[in-house]
Amino acid sequence: MSDKPILIVGGGPAGLSAAHAAAASGRKAVIVEKADRLGGAPILQGYAKLVPSHEWAKDAIGGMVARVQANPNVTVLTGAEVQAFDGAPGAFVATLKDGRKLEVDAAILATGFTHFDSLNKPEWGFGTYPDVVTTVQVEQMISSGAGIRCPSDGRVPDRVAILLCVGSRDRQIGREWCSKICCTVSANIAMEIRELSPKTNVYIYYMDIRTFGLLEGDYYWKSQEEAKVKYIKARIAEVTSDGNRLVVKGEDTLVKRPITIPFDMVVHAIGMDPNVDNMTLSAVFGVGLNRYGYIDKATTYAHLAETNRPGVYVCGAATGPETIDDSIAQGQAAALAALTGAGVPMLKAAE
Amino acid sequence: MTAHAKLPNPPISDPVSDLPVVPYEKLEEIFEDIRKHPVYDHEIHGCLNCGICTATCPSAQYYDYSPREIVQLLWTENLEGIYDAMQEKIWACAQCYTCAARCPFENSPGGLVMIMREVAIKHELPSVKEVLRPFSRVLLKVVSTGNQLAPNMITKEAFPDWGPNVAKVDAPLMLLRKAIPMPTMHTLDTAWEVNLKTSVELYTIWEATGVLKQLESVDENLFDVVSDVMEEKRDEWEEWLEDNEDEDDD
Ligand SMILES: Cc1cc2nc3c(=O)[nH]c(=O)nc-3n(C[C@H](O)[C@H](O)[C@H](O)COP(=O)(O)OP(=O)(O)OC[C@H]3O[C@@H](n4cnc5c(N)ncnc54)[C@H](O)[C@@H]3O)c2cc1C
Ligand code: SF4
Ligand code: SF4
Ligand code: SF4
Repeated sequence: MSDKPILIVGGGPAGLSAAHAAAASGRKAVIVEKADRLGGAPILQGYAKLVPSHEWAKDAIGGMVARVQANPNVTVLTGAEVQAFDGAPGAFVATLKDGRKLEVDAAILATGFTHFDSLNKPEWGFGTYPDVVTTVQVEQMISSGAGIRCPSDGRVPDRVAILLCVGSRDRQIGREWCSKICCTVSANIAMEIRELSPKTNVYIYYMDIRTFGLLEGDYYWKSQEEAKVKYIKARIAEVTSDGNRLVVKGEDTLVKRPITIPFDMVVHAIGMDPNVDNMTLSAVFGVGLNRYGYIDKATTYAHLAETNRPGVYVCGAATGPETIDDSIAQGQAAALAALTGAGVPMLKAAE
Repeated sequence: MTAHAKLPNPPISDPVSDLPVVPYEKLEEIFEDIRKHPVYDHEIHGCLNCGICTATCPSAQYYDYSPREIVQLLWTENLEGIYDAMQEKIWACAQCYTCAARCPFENSPGGLVMIMREVAIKHELPSVKEVLRPFSRVLLKVVSTGNQLAPNMITKEAFPDWGPNVAKVDAPLMLLRKAIPMPTMHTLDTAWEVNLKTSVELYTIWEATGVLKQLESVDENLFDVVSDVMEEKRDEWEEWLEDNEDEDDD
């Protein structure tokens, strides 16, 4: 068994899970994380209570961070990035931006996603009106304890609209995927808003509701039955202002008429873009990207985590929109693949 | 084929309509003509049923008209629905193409309406004549001069048939027009004065593209009037050419 560590790029839920799994099996792991701390999107962006556990992100993912930091088999390098990656499976050399070199056995890319930037959909008012915010901002309002307030004047909103599929399912901006988690996250946020601020009414504008699997009952149904959240089948066409309140314009497709409705706050349920670093990662690690710009998986069933380069594996939201729990499962799968050299022809020949 | 198609003489979907019953074969023929149009596949790719097109459509604000409905009827191949929409609704579209600029599937509902209008004319649907009748004056000017109006011609007196909203024309249009940062005022004098050569070229285009043939099926009287105008202009043009040839020889 090699005594070289397994390189894990990215310290979000997927990378933390891969590091923990590798270390738990007695191998060494080194995490190279670009940000100044571990935890990935849930920690770096300050998410509130997570779907589907209702645990606070800082406790749940914070716990994963602490577990890895306490493990002597895991080395954590923050504020670091890989600049070159040479060699072959079992004998790779990763050169970091600061010049440090790491000899590693295999690499796992757990580099995650980038939040959609709502400025790319100017007709929905983000960047023009201060009370148009994103789900990430609402998560921060909740997790920081600031509460649900209109950024313009700090008032508690009477009426909040959540617009689904912002930055997803839209060919106009080259994003033909569904971001998978934002329906459920929005239902969750809607319930939290209703709980924190019972006088605030919440309306969700949707094309389809994708609270898949067991999330249907706990989020789509519960948000209606218990929190009285209203769902309107319409994709909003534009958000403007009458000088006083925000005005959303759409078509209620069930009633079949155009609608124009005032709101105090509009929330964009932003999607999960491919990591903006993916072109660089693709060049540095020699891995392919799929047609949407996420890191491509070589096989669907045989080895979950393989890329097209033997010895380099991938997991989590780096491969496409994923939930935290799936990213964690994929992190473990990637660790197992890296430990066993899955898909590496040389090792197979030696067997 | 649906079960419906096997009925001997299926009625169209609207039970209270007094329009004549249309045989299924006719509905299919109309749909085929739409579907086979050279740009059909370019204008429709699928539909998310999201309603953005209808929300941004100016006509949907005023009429019982919805571009999303048009797209859905075509995409789901609702032949009766398509036929019904071709009776009146497709004529409500203003051809502004806001829908096409916004559709997240990059469909063009406005482009589909254009195709349906062409097919409605080809099949001489009664709606075509009914809907276009009030516009014969406009058509005459457009076809014979290539231009509909000069801005100063838009007055309530001139357009009583525009309904109560024509009062809004009271806005200081002349003044507003002066604010446009390019010369437009010359069209006041020249709107209907078309260069002879341009006229003749225009008529050639109308003929070559089948517009004249369409006009003939929509409004025979108008067609006759336009044909006379065309003949006259062409004669004038021939004369002018002959005169100028003489001069060239000098
Ligand atoms: C608003 C919102 C709310 C959400 N809420 C939930 C929820 O409640 N429940 C749930 O299951 N999912 C939720 N998600 C999805 C969740 O964020 C992802 O499933 C999860 O973050 C994916 O984990 P990851 O480790 O694959 O990627 P990330 O969390 O994106 O972590 C990637 C890490 O890699 C680092 N990195 C990136 N590029 C490089 C590089 N070039 N070099 C080195 N390091 C790099 C990043 O800094 C980051 O730390 C939510 C998503 C959004 C947008
Ligand atoms: S999960 Fe829901 S909100 Fe997110 S892209 Fe898919 S359908 Fe849209
Ligand atoms: S082109 Fe027609 S259907 Fe499209 S927005 Fe304009 S008026 Fe509406
Ligand atoms: S905007 Fe496009 S996708 Fe949405 S309803 Fe209209 S045609 Fe369908």
